[in-house]
Amino acid sequence: MVATNSDRLITMSVQGNIVSPGYPGIPAVPHQIDHDGRPRLLPSLGGIVYNVRLGDSVYGWAGDNIEPGIAIKAPDGAANQALNVFACVGNEAVAMSGNAKGAKGVVTGKSGRFAEHVIISFPHAALEQMAIGDKIIVRARGVAMSIQGFPGVHLKSFGPQLFDAMRIEENDAKLTVPVKAIVPPELVGAGAGLGSEGGAICIQSMDHNALSKFGLDSLRLGDIVAISDLDSAWGHGYRKGGVSIGVVSSTDSIKAGYGPGVTLLMTAPAGEIDPMVVDRMNLEDLLGIRWEGDE
Amino acid sequence: MVRTNKEQLIEMAVCGEVWPAAARSPYRPNAQGESVVFMGTAGVILNARVGDRAYGWAADHVEPAVSMRNREDGPEHALHYLACIGNPAVMVTGEAAGARGVVTGEHAHILVDFEPEVLEQISIGDKVQIRALGMGLEMLDYPDISVRKMSPQLFESLRIEELGNGRIRLPVAAVIPAYMMGSGAELGADYVDQDLMSNDRETLAQLGLDDLRIGDILAVQDHDHTFNRGYREGAVTIGLINHGDSYMTGHGPGVMDILSCSTNKIEYYVDTENRPNLAAYLGIGNKTLV
Repeated sequence: MVATNSDRLITMSVQGNIVSPGYPGIPAVPHQIDHDGRPRLLPSLGGIVYNVRLGDSVYGWAGDNIEPGIAIKAPDGAANQALNVFACVGNEAVAMSGNAKGAKGVVTGKSGRFAEHVIISFPHAALEQMAIGDKIIVRARGVAMSIQGFPGVHLKSFGPQLFDAMRIEENDAKLTVPVKAIVPPELVGAGAGLGSEGGAICIQSMDHNALSKFGLDSLRLGDIVAISDLDSAWGHGYRKGGVSIGVVSSTDSIKAGYGPGVTLLMTAPAGEIDPMVVDRMNLEDLLGIRWEGDE
Repeated sequence: MVRTNKEQLIEMAVCGEVWPAAARSPYRPNAQGESVVFMGTAGVILNARVGDRAYGWAADHVEPAVSMRNREDGPEHALHYLACIGNPAVMVTGEAAGARGVVTGEHAHILVDFEPEVLEQISIGDKVQIRALGMGLEMLDYPDISVRKMSPQLFESLRIEELGNGRIRLPVAAVIPAYMMGSGAELGADYVDQDLMSNDRETLAQLGLDDLRIGDILAVQDHDHTFNRGYREGAVTIGLINHGDSYMTGHGPGVMDILSCSTNKIEYYVDTENRPNLAAYLGIGNKTLV
């Protein structure tokens, strides 16, 4: 059993509202340019998403970086920063207003620059009742969590609920972490150089051959992945031998440099993490997110 | 001579003012998690110019010589998109009014080189005007290669050879593998730059990327920046170093796109004798190191 300081962590409420999707106004050219230069008009970040769920493929949707379930944001910049940093994957969320008041959900990820959102999974019945603007509270717990005996391993956005479910083991002074796949450093895209306490980092998907070569063409929302040669201790950047672990939290993108969004959970710049590829490693199983009445 | 559409380009004035440095929280974490004070962007920098070393400054993202921008959002973005490297600039107000400079890059600000005696006369807030020429520049016989942010003068100084079959070749100062490209992946390729990640110093040295100069012309392997910036095996992007190194993880000297191809139609070789650098190509900045 890997020991943490989770009994000393603070549980604190952070809050946001369900975000509306947004598009630029006049002159009415709302398209995104895809990696081959084609303008495409597609649903993108924000909103309440009814038909893209945890466990679904990240590929093949007629959408761009779709956030499954709901995305929330606080109206004030500093409060949203707190929400985006303190909310951790696996933390409980509660609807505090609207017709779904009292419904409980689970934080499944975050988005980064241009959409500092927290992504939350709720049962389908709750999604049906929710309205844009509804108040959602997250019982934030996990920031400042550390692993005893591993001072060089940094944990980020990692709820203790999820940590305990991840079957992380200590072997020969290293942490063995089961993952669905390993992302090579050349596929690290948007998010590089940005902060790692919140936000997301994209797995670049423009080169389909590279995706299939590394077994990244069958990723699902909620899959746990490793990224090799990545140091995410103080922002994300290349470091040979570094290992980072994250969870796939938004769908693929049409834009060069973008692709499925990964919320960072842990990083070992000096390589004290040994990723072990397994058949299935998804939040659905790890957090028992199979909502009653859902498919 | 590579054929271009330069006779069709529009020459248009854009303007801004010499922009002051702004300090946020003085302490920010560097790549090792230590708190450091950041300075380097904005203002007038007297001792770092194009041709000077990109590394070793006790500063972050050093913008060589003059940094300018426009107070209004629309004109500011016109400055970003229209100003091209090699375009002439002129001081409109202040002690240095009438002095002429040259655009050397686009970062958080538009970067303009002036001679040292001019730099000493420039005040924050002085108005600068640029004769923008270069947006829309195309290589007529190479439709697969995108051209951006270059004045025709810079384009013609790149020593491009035509190889036939839609291929070209040019000298570069160094070659960057795809996995070293960091911050800026989230931005469009027509906007500012993408940083070479410098926090892994050992790898940087092994790749021969630890001795770059501001203004160096470089090749980026397997990067297609035709539309946004991303990994594509076989693609090539040619860029130039617009600013100095950074303390931050995932940052480093900025690489501004000037040519890109989604396939391997741009060939390159490292020229150590005649260093491909803006200082030599445009006859500006510090010419002693290049």
